Amino acid sequence: MLVPFSMKNCFQLLCNLKVPTAGFKNTVKSGLILQSISNDVYQNLAVEDWIHDHVNLEGKPVLFLWRNSPSVVIGRHQNPWQECNLNLMREEGIKLARRRSGGGTVYHDMGNINLTFFTTKKKYNRMENLKLVVRALNAIQPQLDVQATKRCDLLLDGQFKISGTASKIGRTTAYHHCTLLCSTNRTFLSSLLKSPYQGIKSNATASIPSVVKNLLEKDPTLTCEVLMNAIAAEYAAYHQIDNHINLINPTDETLFPGINNKAKELQTWEWIYGKTPKFSINTSFNVLYGQSYLEIKIVIDIKNGRIEICNIEAPDHWLPVEICDKLKAGFIGSKFCPIETTMLTSILHKTCPKDDELHSKWNILCEKIKGIM
Amino acid sequence: MALRAVRSMRSAACSLRAASAPAAPCLPRPWGLRAGAVRTLRTGSALLSVRKFTDKHEWITTENGIGTVGISNFAQEALGDVVYCSLPEVGTKLNKQEEFGALESVKAASELYSPLSGEVTEINEALAENPGLVNKSCYEDDTKYPVTLCGVGGGRGTPTVPGASFLIRSSSQ
Repeated sequence: MLVPFSMKNCFQLLCNLKVPTAGFKNTVKSGLILQSISNDVYQNLAVEDWIHDHVNLEGKPVLFLWRNSPSVVIGRHQNPWQECNLNLMREEGIKLARRRSGGGTVYHDMGNINLTFFTTKKKYNRMENLKLVVRALNAIQPQLDVQATKRCDLLLDGQFKISGTASKIGRTTAYHHCTLLCSTNRTFLSSLLKSPYQGIKSNATASIPSVVKNLLEKDPTLTCEVLMNAIAAEYAAYHQIDNHINLINPTDETLFPGINNKAKELQTWEWIYGKTPKFSINTSFNVLYGQSYLEIKIVIDIKNGRIEICNIEAPDHWLPVEICDKLKAGFIGSKFCPIETTMLTSILHKTCPKDDELHSKWNILCEKIKGIM
Repeated sequence: MALRAVRSMRSAACSLRAASAPAAPCLPRPWGLRAGAVRTLRTGSALLSVRKFTDKHEWITTENGIGTVGISNFAQEALGDVVYCSLPEVGTKLNKQEEFGALESVKAASELYSPLSGEVTEINEALAENPGLVNKSCYEDDTKYPVTLCGVGGGRGTPTVPGASFLIRSSSQ
């Protein structure tokens, strides 16, 4: 049963409520089920941050259900250039988000359900949560063969990944979130999560690709709504609470004071790209010159998303060393970002206003470099 | 898996002491001190710095206003294989109990909290290439610290919350 979340509920349920002892200890089970009305990945990630920072989860665990419009979400310590096709994402208007938990890269769309289990650090137990999900699935479809693996994945029929897990452990609280593939666009998922970028050397945590399948493909009755309700029902039964799904608006500052700032922070370039662990790119590309191709080698070191070292090796007869050096110097300190590169090219043009041939070569180089960003 | 409270960590730390073989090149982490307790330990002729533990499974030793923070053996066992260490840059100003980094293991990002206020003076660069070092605890002699994460300078008093899992060496200001 969906219940709009009122202010009254907020104060009762979210704001550091202590479980009343009423003469006996630890026999009153409590908990809360929330579902977001938003499909914005940043707003929904901000809800996780907010609950993690502000809610006293002692004796009061929370389940949060959410879905996002098409987005790619990378783990805290991952490298987006290594994990996904950023060029394709820009073309298709797919958002990129970096979450605060660990783990690998996932594709979200309205056919992919996100579940977040909030508990105290002491009660943090991912396998327990996954077993709850499996019980929920088997309650609506007893024939379904779903198992949790040691790596906290859920496998359908022993081979298809339908859920991936990640978590964040804080000072006193922790959360475990996982996806559940219901009716996601699998073709799109595969192309988005395949990086075209070559020559990357990085210590960032790398994803392990898996063959995936949608639950809806296995059983057409397993829609997102059916799955979310089943999981909520199982959670309510397990924690002996009312099976009420409370709808929440992640932009409501009266319910979640300060949440919009959290959402804003998650959208900053500094967080999404700037938090990428230091990495280097060592690659080359060809430019057409007359009847033949010239090979241009490029080595870039990127730290905090900015170019720290840049080496461009172009044949001297095509681009004189001093001109090449000017381009390299321009890159140092700038963001590893196609928009910045375009700006840089315009600035460089102004330094040699009349040299059309040079401009054309710089343009070619910059287009190629943008291609690896 | 759940990270347990300080009581069980102490018992784990104490049992380590009994098990340690002084002659071996790689020793288990030394005993930990419970939050609030301070003891000076001597081994042979070497004087070991007082090591304090927080209830968050971190330890810190301070010397001349320099705080060196490390992670307890119990904590690194609970974490599992560390695959990434996110540490602050040298020069970053930290506030006590503020989150300033994370360790990642088995898809879980565990936050690191500063046990004291100050400025990061040194970080253990080896952990960038080899985060698994956090799980190891090797000593060549009694005066060497276990794997450190970084150093924090501050000098705004000694930390009242003992223990820290990051190596933060602080220089007095």
